Amino acid sequence: MIQDILTYLTLAFAIVFLVKKFFFKKKKTNKNCGEDCNCQ
Amino acid sequence: MTKQNINVALIGNPNTGKTSVFNQLTGLNQQVGNYPGITVEKKVGFCKLAHNINANVIDLPGTYSLNASSADESVVIELLLNKNDKLFPDVIVVVSEVENLKRNLLLFTQIKDLEIPTILVINMIDRMKLKGISLDIPFLEEHLKTKIVLVSSRKNIGIEELKTAITTYKTITTEACLNASSIDDDYFNTLRKTFPNQSLYKLWLVITQDVNFADLNRKTLENESFTKSKSELKKLQQKETIKRYQFINDTLKTGLNIDSSIATDFRSKLDRILTHKVWGYLIFFVILFGIFQSIFEWSKIPMDFIDSSFASLSTAASENMPPGAFTNLIAQGIIPGIGGILMFIPQITFLFLFISILEESGYMSRVVFLMDKIMRRFGLSGKSVVPLISGTACAIPAIMATRNIENWKERLITILVTPLTTCSARLPVYAIIIGLVIPDKYLLGILNLQGLTLMLLYLIGFGMAILSAYILNKVLQLNCKTFFVVEMPNYKLPMFKNVMITVVEKTKAFVFGAGKIILAISVVLWFLASNGPSKDFRNAETIITSKTENATLSKVEIENKIAAYKLEKSYIGLMGKTIEPAISPLGYDWKIGVAIISSFAAREVFVGTLATIYSVGGSDNDNTIRNRMKEEINPETDQKIFNFASGISLLLFYAFAMQCISTLAVTKKETNSWKWPLGQLVFMSSFAYIVALIAYQLLK
Repeated sequence: MIQDILTYLTLAFAIVFLVKKFFFKKKKTNKNCGEDCNCQ
Repeated sequence: MTKQNINVALIGNPNTGKTSVFNQLTGLNQQVGNYPGITVEKKVGFCKLAHNINANVIDLPGTYSLNASSADESVVIELLLNKNDKLFPDVIVVVSEVENLKRNLLLFTQIKDLEIPTILVINMIDRMKLKGISLDIPFLEEHLKTKIVLVSSRKNIGIEELKTAITTYKTITTEACLNASSIDDDYFNTLRKTFPNQSLYKLWLVITQDVNFADLNRKTLENESFTKSKSELKKLQQKETIKRYQFINDTLKTGLNIDSSIATDFRSKLDRILTHKVWGYLIFFVILFGIFQSIFEWSKIPMDFIDSSFASLSTAASENMPPGAFTNLIAQGIIPGIGGILMFIPQITFLFLFISILEESGYMSRVVFLMDKIMRRFGLSGKSVVPLISGTACAIPAIMATRNIENWKERLITILVTPLTTCSARLPVYAIIIGLVIPDKYLLGILNLQGLTLMLLYLIGFGMAILSAYILNKVLQLNCKTFFVVEMPNYKLPMFKNVMITVVEKTKAFVFGAGKIILAISVVLWFLASNGPSKDFRNAETIITSKTENATLSKVEIENKIAAYKLEKSYIGLMGKTIEPAISPLGYDWKIGVAIISSFAAREVFVGTLATIYSVGGSDNDNTIRNRMKEEINPETDQKIFNFASGISLLLFYAFAMQCISTLAVTKKETNSWKWPLGQLVFMSSFAYIVALIAYQLLK
């Protein structure tokens, strides 16, 4: 039972992560940043 | 005749030979001391000149500009701004170096603005011939409004001329050589009105000194009409520097000529070989081949170690954890998925190590220059070389790097073709398939076939990129061209620290960037491979047991058959079976089909997907990823799935297919339209399919 709960939780995390990654990109917080990598 | 004492300040960038000039002027007549309150050394020497003039020669610390930001640099400014200092110079000698004149002249133009007679010494003239440098001295003297003396302090050339120039310093104009106040006329006019009797540039230096040294005690003035915020002043300083460099560039365009074809120094000789129209390419390809050989040779042992470690970890997890779905997820989904990406760390590390060494040593700039000649024939800008080469790491920053291409059509073509160059995400796919289908043998005793194949794949990617550019150039009727300027840095031994920082950062970015996606996809894939919608999936054991009742099979063989049957009836099996008719002409089974679909997010997911699928459906005997893939049999043909024909077909598919969502997103962003990324996707994917199909049908 616990194993099943953990499995479904992990699966849910994985799906949410992938959806967020590919469909809802985080907006940059610093307006002065360009498109360069590592600019927060 | 009465004796006259004058102060001569020697100022210059570090490493221009300023102290050598000082030594030549003063001989042993030197005093060394410290400036009060700080530990910066000052040197004052004495020099007897003609017309009974005695000169106190002050050797000031090396500084790059008058925008000082360190204690030793501020010493220079403090002396130049303080007329009451007993060492305040009557004449300034700015020492520059013939090979770095452009950089050295920034300080010179600033000093000229101080309205003190200034002589420009161009040192190390003995290297002019070696470097193929010629100077138009009358032109430079006219535009820089100064007296120029050519000196070689090492060979004691020009010192007497310098002494004569110092003697006659009063004839030198104190006029500035450019009008720096034009960067903000209103601001400088206000300053002029507020302090009518002061030198404008000295005022500017005092104000900006306050910015550069924030911890100074300062008085607040009542009249603040001329003040600006620190950030505004910093921006003005930057504008001033740009204006000065524009002036220097314009002046040196005529005043300085470098003809590298007549240069005779070691660097020039080496440049001539490395950028030679025959030897240059040959050396480049030998280096390239050496790199790909080493990537395979040196990575073998660590790769095997990581692969087998993860296999053991997976076995240990399933043996020691309590049985259940979560244990299976860890043992069959997460561990093989992570192992599938970590296994390629050695190869990625070696790739970036070599690229970083080539960049650090200065060779990469020569490659860019060399390849520019080819690029132009295919209608690309010379500036396209940088994105194409940096595309070997990742297409995303490479596409962003096209922003410095002024011509829109050239930029667009570069954006569209850059994803064809072999990025590091393709490396794991290439590595695993080459390892499976290309024998680890040597051609002519030295050429490793696997390394050779990898190099060919990189060349195919690059060749396809420039061929596509050529076609796009014709289709888009590109007529305009831009100029290509590349500065050749000096050759140097790569700094271990710099190389290591690059390698660690790039490898980390690859592992963590792709690793998180791979981990998440592994979890989803494991779930899809371990669950199925039909009764057949749930009753797999009963069905297989009844089918094999009469067959003499071992327990392990029956277990393998059950696992394979369950996988076939799982969600992922059904998905794979649906697309199988489309991919079977390419030599792929439904498992490879699933890996191709999942790796559409990112290419490197391909290996992780196969690792997960084979872990779910495989036996425990051949527990490494590569062994499982090697032993995989097509039940219809009874042949190995990964044979030479299907392997080459897969390699070519991945060489051309647009399997990267992030690249499409960046293309959309950079072109501001969906038209181009969609075109990219359709063209690259259909081309990849056709090439892979032809390759398999010819080779099978």
